[in-house]
Amino acid sequence: MLTRQTQYQNGTHEDDDFDDEGILAASIVEAIQNDDEDPSQTLQTLQSREDDLQSRLQAAATPLEYQASLEARYASYDNYCSLFHFILNSNGPVELDLPTYYWAWDVIDEFIYQFNNFCAYRNRLAKKGQSQEEIASLRENQQIWGCYSVLNRSQMNEQLAAIKRGEDPNTVAGEYGSRPLYRMLGYFSIIGLLRVHCLLGDFTLALKTLDDIELNKKAVFARVMGAHFTTYYYVGFCYMMMGRYSDAIKAFSHILLYITRTKNLHNKGGQFDSISKTMDQMYALLAMCVALCPTRLDDTIHSTLREKYADQFQKLQRGGEDSLAVFEELFQASAPKFISPIPPDFDSPANNIDPMQHHLQVFMFDVKNNMMAPILRSYLKLYTSMDLHKLASFLEIDPDDLRNKLLIFKQKSRQYKWTEGGLLSGETINTSDLDYALQKDLIHISEAKVGRKLVDWYLRNLTRSYA
Amino acid sequence: MGSFDYAEERPEHITAILNGLDRYNPETTTIFQEYVAQQCEDSTYDCYANLALLKLYQFNPHLTNSETITNILVKALTAFPSSDFSLCRHLLPPNFLPPIPNATELTEAVQKLTTLNSLLESCNFKEFWNTLDSDDLFADLIADVQGFEDTIRRRITGVDTSDVETRIPGVIDSSMREIERTMLEDWLNLRDEKFEEFVTSVAGYQIDGNTVIISLNKDNEAKPTITRESVKIDQFSRVIRRAYEQPA
Repeated sequence: MLTRQTQYQNGTHEDDDFDDEGILAASIVEAIQNDDEDPSQTLQTLQSREDDLQSRLQAAATPLEYQASLEARYASYDNYCSLFHFILNSNGPVELDLPTYYWAWDVIDEFIYQFNNFCAYRNRLAKKGQSQEEIASLRENQQIWGCYSVLNRSQMNEQLAAIKRGEDPNTVAGEYGSRPLYRMLGYFSIIGLLRVHCLLGDFTLALKTLDDIELNKKAVFARVMGAHFTTYYYVGFCYMMMGRYSDAIKAFSHILLYITRTKNLHNKGGQFDSISKTMDQMYALLAMCVALCPTRLDDTIHSTLREKYADQFQKLQRGGEDSLAVFEELFQASAPKFISPIPPDFDSPANNIDPMQHHLQVFMFDVKNNMMAPILRSYLKLYTSMDLHKLASFLEIDPDDLRNKLLIFKQKSRQYKWTEGGLLSGETINTSDLDYALQKDLIHISEAKVGRKLVDWYLRNLTRSYA
Repeated sequence: MGSFDYAEERPEHITAILNGLDRYNPETTTIFQEYVAQQCEDSTYDCYANLALLKLYQFNPHLTNSETITNILVKALTAFPSSDFSLCRHLLPPNFLPPIPNATELTEAVQKLTTLNSLLESCNFKEFWNTLDSDDLFADLIADVQGFEDTIRRRITGVDTSDVETRIPGVIDSSMREIERTMLEDWLNLRDEKFEEFVTSVAGYQIDGNTVIISLNKDNEAKPTITRESVKIDQFSRVIRRAYEQPA
């Protein structure tokens, strides 16, 4: 333990509280150098390229313009490739001073953003069927920004993390653990992987990649606001798509509350602009989740939600046909920009369906199924027992239909919820405060109530009486 | 406690692929395909592995094997009311959804299975069986999956393991205490002796004339609860301390 501490102190940053993460990233790095030859050799070549490198590092973290030409996109991809190749495939660890503390995150962030952007661009082109020249060029360069290479870049790191995780921290942390470049890069690329999988529609695998990362305020990513934020956004979204709404609500409200409380600390520079946009998206997602799985929110979150999406939230909570359009609208505005993993079919533009539409349709299917729930709830809440036919006549639907709706209601209220361990694990619990049982056509209804909370009130008044 | 990425009967070589870089290797497609075939045969189910295969297809459309895809979907049906079917659909190519520009046999099959899924998810079991019987195509689709109908029935009723704790819950026993016999017959698509045998031995219900009685469990008792505040002595520590500091 002591040796490790000293090593950390030799590092460029104040690393003392980095224990576990250091191990994780160190392990990544160690396994990266497959053919361990002579590190000093690399160092020498490096010195001569130092200046050149610094500028390249800067460039890698600089955003590419939205309107950038195809050539610029290709060039940028080549840059990333050579950079990653240099860092990961050199013989031994690369000795580098990071331009800024946030650099590692920015690079990964920008890399994925450009990847995402490129796919969207490609799809747009294919749909319009214009500019033959560009299409021809795309056709020739299909491997560029290919999903495989993107996945492999990050996958490499993730894999190594997993293998080495169980090993003795002291031996692993060694030489590589003290290099913030690798630690950060490896760590953030795992989060990058979460994003890519989510964009491709593989929500389970996305959550699975986070197995080695602890989600809490002390985690490494919490130090970089953007990373912290992004992680929770994608985790929450993945849960939502898996139908685990209560977990999604937990993820969203956790991060939203955290941001609200620390807003003043982060409220400098441009970083906050993008954050507040994502925050709005998260509130929208949260509104959908709460509509699908009624849950009591934290008061601060709840009031902000009502401020931002008053109309929509009300419609969502009312349910029925009217709510569907709102669900679609909010989903399209707040879901990540999905991508299609394969190059579009340039020959028949009609075949290229926007991946967003695809995922929206699958999601809406689940929503439609349950859109009666809010209406049912509002009636069930009023009774302790009720005849099925009577309720059916209130709702003006067929009794058999109502029975099915009740069964759905029950199914949806039983959700898989995380308790401990990996993000994919959990157990089935009842998330609804309203429960029922059918005895033939008689509905028995029960409600879980929260008793009055007196202690706070009592204590407050007691202190006052002392004064 | 369960985890989505865990399957009891998963063989070791599959686990190795799933945890390694090989899960992106197109050459593993055949191994996964065999694994799907095996799941169909011995009535096991491993959604996590099947999703990995769908992902391989997603990246390598030329490797796509229609039969395996439909088998995966049929298997996912047997896992209702979980969201497995939706998760599979997210990984299918976007042009598998209506309106389909140029329909193929595969897209049509996927459509049909989606219809079945929506009937199951909306708990419209009577209609589910009718639809299943209405078209020969369905018989072809589910032919590979051993015990498909029986698994669906078990999902509807729940499976009795002679112990309340370990009982595998189904749709009916989480929602109902009593149900009319004729209705349950329609929902399970079973009649007479077959019905009686299934209901009493597999589901563990009692039949009383025209009524089927479902024993009480934690989901169908619908007991009102009141969560009371739990008060800990720590909360009062300040008050108590003050009481000592400034005796009244």
